[in-house]
Parts: sequence; C-alpha cells; structure tokens
Amino acid sequence: MSDTMTHYERMRAAWNCEVPDRVPYMPMTVYFVARQGGLTIKEFITEPEKFLKAALDGLDFIGDAQHPALNTADHMWMLGHAGWDMTTLDWRIWDEFPPHGNLPSIYEKVLIQDYDDVMERGFSTILFSTALENNIHERSIDDFLYYQFEHTKVWSSVWRRFYDETGIPILIGGRAEHPLDLLQSYRGISQLVTDMYTMPDKVLEFSYWLADYEVMQASREAVTMGAGELPGAENIFFYNGAPPGMPPDLYAKLYIPVAKKMIDAWVARGFNVWCHFDNDQTPHLEGLAGFVDGLPKGRVLLDLEKTDMKKAKEVLGGKIAICGNVPSTLMVYGTPEEVDAYCKKLIEDCAAGGGYILGAECETPWDSKRENVVAMKQAAEKYGRY
Amino acid sequence: MGKVSDGIAALDAAAACAAVRADLERGRDPMELIDEARVGLQEVGERFDAGEYFLIELIRASQVFQETADLINPKLTELYGRGESRGKVLIGTVAGDIHDLGKSIVKVLLDCRGVEIMDLGVDVAPPAFVAAVRDFGPGVVGMSALLTAAIPQFRTTVEALEAAGLRDTVKIIVGGGTVIDLDAAMLKADHVASDANAGVDVMLAWLDEAGGASAAN
Ligand code: B12
Repeated sequence: MSDTMTHYERMRAAWNCEVPDRVPYMPMTVYFVARQGGLTIKEFITEPEKFLKAALDGLDFIGDAQHPALNTADHMWMLGHAGWDMTTLDWRIWDEFPPHGNLPSIYEKVLIQDYDDVMERGFSTILFSTALENNIHERSIDDFLYYQFEHTKVWSSVWRRFYDETGIPILIGGRAEHPLDLLQSYRGISQLVTDMYTMPDKVLEFSYWLADYEVMQASREAVTMGAGELPGAENIFFYNGAPPGMPPDLYAKLYIPVAKKMIDAWVARGFNVWCHFDNDQTPHLEGLAGFVDGLPKGRVLLDLEKTDMKKAKEVLGGKIAICGNVPSTLMVYGTPEEVDAYCKKLIEDCAAGGGYILGAECETPWDSKRENVVAMKQAAEKYGRY
Repeated sequence: MGKVSDGIAALDAAAACAAVRADLERGRDPMELIDEARVGLQEVGERFDAGEYFLIELIRASQVFQETADLINPKLTELYGRGESRGKVLIGTVAGDIHDLGKSIVKVLLDCRGVEIMDLGVDVAPPAFVAAVRDFGPGVVGMSALLTAAIPQFRTTVEALEAAGLRDTVKIIVGGGTVIDLDAAMLKADHVASDANAGVDVMLAWLDEAGGASAAN
C-alpha cells in the first residue's frame, strides 16, 4: 500500500488522536544529520548554508520525516547561541564532534543566588556574570543583542527555502523550557533539590515568574520562524528535561501546574505545544493527562523518553498523542534487526486507534548507526499501516 | 531505628538534626549516633531500590544525612580521633561528561557503609585521576559516564594509570546508563556495574578482601 498523506498531514492526524494512513515517524535527527553531512559542530552552528545542504542530503535516508528547525530555533538548546543563554550560563562549546571535541554542554553551578532579588530586579542581575568560565563578560553587548533578537531570522530564511524546495514542514517554531529545568542549570541540581524541600513555595513563585518569560520568548521566536505561514512553525517545542526522578508529590506541586499554565497560554495564542520529556514519566502519566483539560483537540503532543509506552497508551490514549521511544543505546550499539523488532513492539503497543508517532528516545544520538536510523523509518512503513 | 534514622528516612532535616542535638546533649556516644544516621540512609537506599523512593528523594536523603553528620563529626573526632575506615574509594565522571547523579548515588551508598571517598566531580581528565590515585591511595577507582562518546575515556584513563605504574594498586569499576551492556575487559576495567547497589557490593567485597584502607595503600 502506498502513502495517501503527506508527512505533515500524518503528523496532524496523530496529534488529533485520529487514524492516519500509517504511523508517522519522527526521529529527531539533530546532530545526526550534521554529522552524516560531514559537518563539524562549529560549521553546523555558524554556517546555515552548510547545514541546509546536510539537511537536504539527509532526505536520502530520513525521508520527509526531518524537522530541521529543531536545532536552530534556539533557546537553551544544545548550541547555547541564543543571547540570553550565552550570557547567563556556563556553556562550553567545542568546534568538533568527539573524540576531538564534544557536544555543547552547560556546566551547572549556583548562578542565581537569591530568587527574590532576581524577581525584583530582573534577569539582568545575572547577565555577563564573571562566575561563568566561558569569558562571556569579555564579549560585546551588540553580540548579545544580535544573538538574542536577530539571529533567528537567519535560520528562518534558511528553513523557508528548505520548505520551498522540498515541501517539508519544519515542525518547530519556538522553543521553551520548563522553569524547573532552567533552575537546574541556574542553581545546580543539588541546590535545587535543597530548595524544593526547604522553600517549595519560593521555587513555585519563581517558576511562575519565569514561565511568563518563557511563554513570551517562545511565542516571539515562533512568529519569527514563520508561524501562520510556514507549516510547523506554529508548534512550540516545550522542553522538560530535568530534574530526573521527581517524586509524584513534588511533581504535582511544582511541575504540573506551571506546565499547564504555559501550555494554556500558548494554545490561547494559537500555538500547538510539543512537550518533550527527558525522563521516565510513567509515575506521572495521570497528571500529564490533565494537560489537555479545557483545550480544543489536537493541540498537545507528549514525546516521552524512558517511559513505559504501553502504560502511556493506556492512560493517555484517545486524549493526547504520544511519541517515542527507541532507546538511544540501541541506536548506537544495536543492529538494524534489533531496532526493527523494538519498533514493531512499540507500534503493537501504541498505534491502535491513532495518536501515536514512532520516535527516538529524546533524540537520535549523533553517533547512531545510519542503518539503524533507516531501519526505524522502514519499520514505521512496514508495521505501521492502518 | 531511632529518631535520627527515622528523621533521615522521612527526609525531615529538622527532625533528624533536632534528635542529633538532643542526643549529643544527653551524652550519647557519637559513634552510635553516626551508625544510626547510616542506618537511616541505608533505609532510604533500600526503599529507592524497591521503587518506593525516587531519585530526588535519594539525593535529599543524602543531604539530610550530611547535615546530621556535620553535627556528629566534630564530637566523633574529639572523642575518637580520626575513625576507622573500611577503605578508600576514588570516584569521578570521566572527561567530556558532566552527568553526576549516578556517581553521587554511589558516593552516598558508600558513605553510609563507612567508606572514605574522594569525589573528583565531573569532566575529570585522566591526569587528574592519576594524581588523585597517587595522593589519596584508594583501593578502588569508580568511574562514571553516560555519554556514549565518553566511553573511550574509561580505557584512556586506565591506560594513564598503567603508564604511571599505578594500575595494579587499584581495582577499577565503571558505571552509568550507557555502559551496562559493555564488556569490562574491553574497557580495561575490573568490573562493569549494572546499577549503584550491585556496584557498591562489588566494591565493598574488594575493600574487605584487601583489609580496609591500610592494606589498600
Ligand atoms: C539528567 C540528564 C542530564 C543533566 C545532567 C545533570 C547532572 N547533574 O547530572 C543535563 C541536563 C546537564 C544533561 C546534559 C546532557 N545530556 Co543528558 N541526560 C540526563 C538524563 C535525563 C538522566 C541521567 C541521570 O541522571 N539518570 C539517573 C542516574 C541515577 O542514572 P545513571 O547515571 O545511569 O546511574 C545509575 C547507574 O548507571 C549507576 N552508576 C552510574 N555511574 C556509576 C559509577 C559507578 C562506579 C558505579 C558502580 C555505578 C554507577 O548508578 C546509578 C543508580 O543505579 C539522561 C536520560 C535518561 N533518562 O537516562 C540524559 C542523557 C544521558 N543525556 C544525553 C545527552 C546527549 C546530554 C547532552 C550531550 C545534551 C546537551 N548537549 O545538552 C548533555 C551532556 C553534556 C556532557 N558533556 O556531558 C543522552 C546521552 C546519549 C548518548 N548516546 O550519549 C541521554 C541518554 C539522553 C538521550 N536519550 O539522548 N543531561
């Protein structure tokens, strides 16, 4: 049987918890595409034309399931090239992939010393801190302003061209983080744990304060990327990485209500929200089900990492679309046969009735075997027909 | 279990510390107190293993334990000098990798079993491991990595220890989410830990075999 929907139509059907022609596949091939295209990390970050070419080359093995904009619509993403992030966090950025370099990383430390002070005087209190060991305080303010407000436009024009040439939507317009996730970087996980136990109400108050900023900047970014004109730019990628292993009571108090407020705010402004999770959500599925309360259909997607997908389908099926979760170790060390078998099982567990997207666990690792990525794509086509 | 261990097991820092203060005031043996605190932490470890406690609760428990230990330790040193240790472990996350939660759990579990630990932190280059093995003289070196790209660093670090002539003075164990399927020999390690508890058991067996810190040196 052949496809009767485009990738975008298929994705929309899945978001709507409807049955598409087949299970969509969404591998999140961020660094992987750059790597396969022979780029260094530096080229990939700073030379849009080269990355555009790598993305076009990637069509050969990923097909139309690419979503190139993910890595460039930027805030707190691995590149750390959004102005705000550059000037407030200890980013270490290498030019090359391992073993000569590494993926960009944030070094956790206690950068926010006093929640009240930051809420009162604003984030500028921690800009260009000399506590950052990346020498950012030596860089010019113009540099910061450019990256904060102008740089996205460069990528926006690149992805518009990508769409014009290929008809493939970009799937992500803006990017935001859950405040608890940001706080992990701004307080360090150990201090954040102390805070959550010794001053939970302050953490919550600060989270709501930060949530407004995140909602605003992601919306702005999505508009710059072309929300309303360029298909997919209306999606906000809402990152929920950390802290890992939250107990359900703390999660219900500090995580869920803030996330819900942000989701509601985006949906009210016409955006869709792609909630991306980095940790096992199995203990929290009931709480996540509440994300769509009071919202029109098809506006929220949950992309789940280490979670028990069968259980997720049981709890969320018919309410919220889910995406996931071929393990990253399998993509790096496994064989195509193993990937195929894993995908088959996922499709059996999750695809019935629609609302499921076959995906990687977080992202397809940069060092995945190419044949494993191909095996995943083929599995969606082979086992995913409705 | 007593009030101190109960307080730790309930993640209640105020209760645990109040109990410690009251006990010290009453003249309770600090050795007994620190043992009780360890029991509390061990209890949390067991509940974590059984899936009753979550990772963040384990981290919090280690903080509460630390707060009580900070109150008990001065008294302990005053009465007994530097206590007997079960042996020394050097621990760190390898170069290029900044994930530290798994490693920190290992540290806590060793701590509550009376092992002396030096934690080098994250992104630890091979020369730093070598220098610390030389200065600290551990019986065991534990390395952690979660990035697949950091895995070759296990081997590189072991080779640096070999080159410094220190490899035979230590047992080496590695762990972290991405390594569990790997072969120890390929990494030039003595053991690959599937999880923190299993790894800690192996380390304790090694330390006990070597007869504590003195023999390990
Ligand atoms: C939390 C987290 C982070 C936090 C780390 C915070 C911190 N202070 O540690 C932050 C946000 C900083 C982060 C950053 C990155 N991360 Co990260 N992160 C995770 C996450 C979600 C959880 C890891 C964790 O802490 N697990 C809980 C602990 C308890 O488990 P554990 O470490 O496996 O430890 C257990 C055992 O293995 C054992 N153990 C561990 N070490 C040792 C050592 C010894 C001696 C022994 C005996 C036992 C032992 O004990 C523990 C208990 O049993 C994982 C995904 C996941 N869900 O696993 C991704 C993950 C590890 N990260 C990943 C990536 C790619 C990154 C980044 C590169 C992304 C980026 N560019 O921003 C950076 C890394 C930068 C760098 N140079 O290291 C990937 C790695 C993929 C790969 N193929 O390498 C993962 C798997 C996510 C994914 N699926 O893509 N990350």
